[in-house]
Amino acid sequence: MNEIIVGVIGAGRIGTLHADNLIRMPGVRLKSIADPLIKPEAWSRRGVEPALDPAVVLDDSEIAAVLICSPTTTHADLTEAAARAGKHVFCEKPIALDPVRIRQTLAVVEKAGVKLQVGFNRRFDPTFARVRQAVEAGEVGDVQLVRVVARDPLRPPIEYVATSGGMFFDMTIHDFDMVRFVSGADVVEVHAFGAVLVDPAIGEAGDIDTAVVTLKLDNGALAVIENSREAVFGYDQRVEVFGSKGSVEAFNESPCQVRVRTAAGVRAENPLFFFLQRYQRSFVAELEAFFDSIRSDREPPVTGHDALIPVLIGIAATRSMREGRPVAVERQQRGRRPEA
Amino acid sequence: MQPTAVGVIGVGRIGTMHTHNLVRHVPEARVKAVASPHIDRDWAAALGIPIATPDPDELLRDPEIEAVVITTPSGRHVEMIRRAAQAGKQIFCEKPVAFEPQAIAEAIAAVEAAGVRLQVGFNRRFDPSICRLAEAVQAGEVGRLHSLRVINRDPRRPPVDFVSRSGGMFLDFTIHDLDTLRFLSGSEIEEVYAVGAALVDPNIGAAGDIDTAIVTARLANGALCVIDNSRETHYGYDQRFEAFGSKGNLTVDNLKPTTVTSYLKPGVYEDTPLPSFIERYQDAFIGELRAFLRSVREGTPVAATGEDALAAVEAAVAARTSLAENRPVHVTRRAAGAAEGGSR
Repeated sequence: MNEIIVGVIGAGRIGTLHADNLIRMPGVRLKSIADPLIKPEAWSRRGVEPALDPAVVLDDSEIAAVLICSPTTTHADLTEAAARAGKHVFCEKPIALDPVRIRQTLAVVEKAGVKLQVGFNRRFDPTFARVRQAVEAGEVGDVQLVRVVARDPLRPPIEYVATSGGMFFDMTIHDFDMVRFVSGADVVEVHAFGAVLVDPAIGEAGDIDTAVVTLKLDNGALAVIENSREAVFGYDQRVEVFGSKGSVEAFNESPCQVRVRTAAGVRAENPLFFFLQRYQRSFVAELEAFFDSIRSDREPPVTGHDALIPVLIGIAATRSMREGRPVAVERQQRGRRPEA
Repeated sequence: MQPTAVGVIGVGRIGTMHTHNLVRHVPEARVKAVASPHIDRDWAAALGIPIATPDPDELLRDPEIEAVVITTPSGRHVEMIRRAAQAGKQIFCEKPVAFEPQAIAEAIAAVEAAGVRLQVGFNRRFDPSICRLAEAVQAGEVGRLHSLRVINRDPRRPPVDFVSRSGGMFLDFTIHDLDTLRFLSGSEIEEVYAVGAALVDPNIGAAGDIDTAIVTARLANGALCVIDNSRETHYGYDQRFEAFGSKGNLTVDNLKPTTVTSYLKPGVYEDTPLPSFIERYQDAFIGELRAFLRSVREGTPVAATGEDALAAVEAAVAARTSLAENRPVHVTRRAAGAAEGGSR
């Protein structure tokens, strides 16, 4: 089997994580990584060519696939540039916060005839993949209720909040995707209650840190997402799908499975600290799935459509919170040709 | 101190359960009379209850009977409360006291005028796990309260003829969850948003009700809440509670008949939750009656008041409006003198 030569654009936290996974991954070779703040020695040592300019990656005819891990505001431009250069693209979520911009990018990708996968990594977490499998196999019957609990362990820095696009686009977007993924249904209407309970500074920056979002799905089922920016006990990631035959539920994962029993009580380990720990395997699995789709010339498991829809849901949720009413999600037919 | 003479008015499913509990598990009470249109005298005699009558007035006229348990169909609660209050009886009444806030306010007025106590059957307030959770929240164990979650799912769908006279899912079923939000938080429900559907049984939908719902709420203390409801699980009575705050998260899980875990080739199995509210809240049903009798005998306040019943019904009515009009609805607090109606 031919080795797939890969380049990475963006060497921040998530770019470095992906790059390190690529270095260890059979069947692929990470050739170069570009970032204006690149630390060249660190990458030379790993056998990866460092670059300041993304053009070094995009202009390299040997490179067949590119991972876009740069700041969100550059995702759409770089995805388009990579697609025009004939590269398959894996882009971190979200492609953009503006659906018009996302549609433009999807049109460019389609015209170029390359694969595009977006980084909804949680779909590749073995636990949540098993939830989906149980639902798909009909183990819980017809889906009636979906609930997602997603809480970060630590409030983000205020500078981050200001550039994040808001909690619904930065954090809840994963949960919007999770509801779609586990239910196999689409979201038609959203209602959001939001509050600033963790940190008043987040409120002053114009965002929220606590939310409860209700969603109506196109198969008639109901869903609810509970978010917080700070759960002091660790990363709280749980999902339940309840249906006509029963329920399937995914619990938190801990670094080890012990119980300490004393007169003071019974103590178990806290959940894994954050997404790097909790979703370690999913970050590898999503890339493997991306390369599989290139090798077998099949549609990637997370499509451009899947990238667009959670942004549309986030827009509806934002408007719902602002206007104090449920808001319909803009309709977007699956497989519809995006307007250029 | 001699046991207090008690009468039970209405001995359907829940009245029968309360009667059994009073006889067997409430040493502070002596059931002197039971009244119901189709009373089974042999059943009463077997329990050692001297008077079994179709006429509640016979019981209300009895000067020895100090307290009554009202477990008639919900539509007759207010009338019976009024008559019992006029007869000077201490009153325990099943929920919902009434489907309309106005009627509950009238019942409260009747009770106050007569100077008797009214306790309402919010049994969960006497469940050891839920009590522990409420104490923890109010003692600040979770820090500042950020969110509450109630999962309340019945094991099996009710008969459709029950649905049509139940007052609807929010008033019949979700009302316990709305009271639980108030009980756990010590705060008031300010705003609710409800979505609902008939996904379990189309006949429930045809009868004008729903069987699946998500109700979200904002409390006066700022916390956000989620209630999720279903009328049919197939796996038992699903009762779970969660309180999340700045210092952590406290959860109450389902109780199971046994704690056996079976590790077998197809998977790891444990018991499904207790099958129905009768088993799950057995201690709570006994506890609420004992607490009522203690209040009566010691002259102390009751733990689930008419005002609590009113607040829960007001929230349920707001949820019903929210569902009907597909908008978040502010809860109209009659007690607080709030203005009528109100979208945000």
